[in-house]
Amino acid sequence: MKDFISVSPLKVLEKSSRKSLGPGNLGVLIARAGVGKTACLIHIAFDRIFRQEKLVHISLEEGPEKVTSYYNVMYYDLVKALNIADESEIRLLIDRNRMILAYLKQSFETERLRISLKNLAENLEFRPDTLIVDGLDFERAERTLFEGFKDIAKEFDAEVWFSALSHRHITEVNERGIPHPCQQFDDLFSIIIELKPGTSGVFLNLLKDHDNPAIVDNGVRLDPNTFLALS
Amino acid sequence: MVNDINKLRNIGISAHIDSGKTTLTERILFYTKRIFAIHEVKGKDGVGATMDSMELERERGITIASAATHCEWKGYRINIIDTPGHVDFTIEVERALRVMDGAILILCAVGGVQSQSITVDRQMNRYKVPRIAFINKCDRSGADPYKVVEQLRRKLNHNAVLMQIPIGLEDKFSGVVDLVSMKALYFEGVNGEEVRTGEIPAEILEQAQAQREELLDAASMFSDDLMEAILEDRVSDDLICQAVREGTLSRKLTPVFIGSAYKNVGVQLVLDAVNQYLPAPDEVENMSLDLGQDEKEVSLKTDPEMPVVALAFKLEVTPYGQLTYLRIYQGSIGKGDNLIITRTRRKLKVGRLVRMHAGQMEDLTRAYAGDIVALFGVDCNSGDTFTDGRLHYSMSSMFVPEPVISLAINPKDHKAQNNMSRALNRFVKEDPTFRSHVDQESGETIVSGMGELHLDVYVERMRREFSAEVETGNPQVAYREAITRRISFDYIHKKQTGGSGQYGRVAGFMEPSDEGVYEFVSQVKGGVIPTEFLPAVDKGFQSCLTKGQALGFPVLGMRVTVNDGQSHSVDSSERAFRQAAIGAFRQAYMKAKPVILEPIMKVSVESPSEYQGSVLSSINQRRGLITSSTEDGTFTIVEAEVPLAEMFGYATVLRSLTQGKAEFTMEFSRYAKVPESIAKELKSSAEKRSKGEKKS
Repeated sequence: MKDFISVSPLKVLEKSSRKSLGPGNLGVLIARAGVGKTACLIHIAFDRIFRQEKLVHISLEEGPEKVTSYYNVMYYDLVKALNIADESEIRLLIDRNRMILAYLKQSFETERLRISLKNLAENLEFRPDTLIVDGLDFERAERTLFEGFKDIAKEFDAEVWFSALSHRHITEVNERGIPHPCQQFDDLFSIIIELKPGTSGVFLNLLKDHDNPAIVDNGVRLDPNTFLALS
Repeated sequence: MVNDINKLRNIGISAHIDSGKTTLTERILFYTKRIFAIHEVKGKDGVGATMDSMELERERGITIASAATHCEWKGYRINIIDTPGHVDFTIEVERALRVMDGAILILCAVGGVQSQSITVDRQMNRYKVPRIAFINKCDRSGADPYKVVEQLRRKLNHNAVLMQIPIGLEDKFSGVVDLVSMKALYFEGVNGEEVRTGEIPAEILEQAQAQREELLDAASMFSDDLMEAILEDRVSDDLICQAVREGTLSRKLTPVFIGSAYKNVGVQLVLDAVNQYLPAPDEVENMSLDLGQDEKEVSLKTDPEMPVVALAFKLEVTPYGQLTYLRIYQGSIGKGDNLIITRTRRKLKVGRLVRMHAGQMEDLTRAYAGDIVALFGVDCNSGDTFTDGRLHYSMSSMFVPEPVISLAINPKDHKAQNNMSRALNRFVKEDPTFRSHVDQESGETIVSGMGELHLDVYVERMRREFSAEVETGNPQVAYREAITRRISFDYIHKKQTGGSGQYGRVAGFMEPSDEGVYEFVSQVKGGVIPTEFLPAVDKGFQSCLTKGQALGFPVLGMRVTVNDGQSHSVDSSERAFRQAAIGAFRQAYMKAKPVILEPIMKVSVESPSEYQGSVLSSINQRRGLITSSTEDGTFTIVEAEVPLAEMFGYATVLRSLTQGKAEFTMEFSRYAKVPESIAKELKSSAEKRSKGEKKS
């Protein structure tokens, strides 16, 4: 799946100081409603899976059926966009390397996640390289929650990607240029990316790059239909 | 008799096994004066509940086959379709869901929403059935209807709202508070037939007011009038009921009623709710396929003047002959009318037209669109569509999964043999997921179905209903074969020694088909194979699919393209080309690298969260691929795909792993290639079998 990796939204990290988020670290995609946060997160998931890595998708809003159907839709768009003829092996790769953990109706606690990850490792030898967390309400989340995730990222040697919902009417940013709703916790995140719609596509901009204070012009333009990087 | 379609309800009663649906049905029939005495499921009086028409069901205290019954309540006619709750009988549930317009979802106040309730609810969603919920068994120790409402919201994603609250619970459960009228209702008399209205007990008044606020909040989402009335403090009972009805019909609201069918509390109010909140037949859109227009979907109108479209959804054998339950979607059917079965185009005359009441019947002269009736003496299959010949419609086909498990059955004596074949003939017509055939090599009768219990029940029904004593073999998984690569063939069948000769040449290629079905494509040009012989070529290939050459399993998913051939003016015949196709198949099949496929089941295990690790491990040991784990309150639902061959005896294993606290359901998902090691095992056992057969 070299074809995909060359158009993955994670291309935005090619210009970052470490070229990736890295194990033990947290990363977040910030965007307004309807811009395509979940689509981008799923592309990040595909990026990791196609590199033969294990992934856990943590859904805090939807049940596994909806998450799976979202992956399926994105996957078939991808197959079409990249003109992949024989996709049965890739399908199998996704099924084998992805695990969905859903937490319905506020049943999520980092301790429960820790137990599930331990159970996956001990009983299935499934040790994720990446965790994707979709549907977390950053406005209600407390700092301790992200600290819990950070501990999990370190304990399981995995990188953790989140999506965060921003609002059109809240424009203030903190002194480091990080917008709502991440301005309270930006020190806990190693990578912060903003997803913004524009006239010629959707743009991914790197707002935080590990400890690197000098972020260069790093924007990646995505096709608004497929969310794949345009050259 | 009322014939107003607005006052007709076709409802199902669906729920988890043992949540009391047969008892509720029995009470409904009693209060609507269809029966005059109440018998209990597993009743001490030995009579059993009226809806359990089969002896086996009476003995087990469960409902296996759906039966339709009719009753009247406060000027409304209600057809009740009783449905089984066990997942192994999915086809029965789905068939019942197909013909019902609304449903009562029964939940146990103690057990709450269990994994099988989830399956049934998922099926109801698939058929877009609006429902009301009834939390039964509020008199039992540990009853907590509030917890069950919460589970309805969390586990089934229903916008559930209490329409009543209990007065007392467990052994103190004495009645309900109706949150619409804000009155207390008590059920008195020997069988709770007298409903007494009273004031709400002071100790629960505050709670009732709070719950009513919750009800108003939920209902007002479906009615601007109610919302305005709330703001202006002029809420009326009618406005609330109208809004709740809107919400229920749109399937965005589930009104919840409570009671105890066994203790005769709350049943009449459920009947009121059926009238008030569930749809009339003309409020539901029913689609059919117009076979004359390439299966274009067409909407049916619940209009008795239009051409007839009706669906046979249930067959039953009675002492008087075959009884066919029919839902009339359009037009009307009268005694003496001519009908045509769409599938066979066979014409039949309506003899006896009856309305059923589980075991008893009422003769009718005519029945109209929307109604559920039964015909006598009609030879058809379950799922057949009937028309009056003016339309070539078929009701959209029900989802019928392929059987995944089979069992050899042998009659114990000659009498049993005859009875067994009568029974099999009947079951095959009743249930499309149940199949039967005679294995040509062993001469044994093989029955196939959807699970161990599915087949067990039919074997027991054979014994009880047909006096057919049979011995059963071990369950066998339905393995399949499929080719993996495209291979060309070119085969001449020639026999020109003595007598009339045979000559046919068939050339082309076989390849895997994505759709998983057999396809025959003719690209023959210039008449090298005369057109009249092409069907014989097709048949020749098809005849080979029943037994693949790899291990003798049926072949799935193959496309055969014939693009060349040759014929002889005298010696070519259908037989010769059929033989040529068989020869071509044999020539190419093994070169096309066939693999063995096994049925993969979608398995869902629900257990308290502390057993997540044990459940994961037990599935992993069964070659399962775990796809997700969902935490929901204190429960975890693990979903996985597991080969059927590994699932035998899993219920016992799961019970011991989780102290009996976990449940699992499974349904067929797909066929997948077996791992090499298993393929080798299958091969060696096939070789042993074949050696054994040769020796004997």
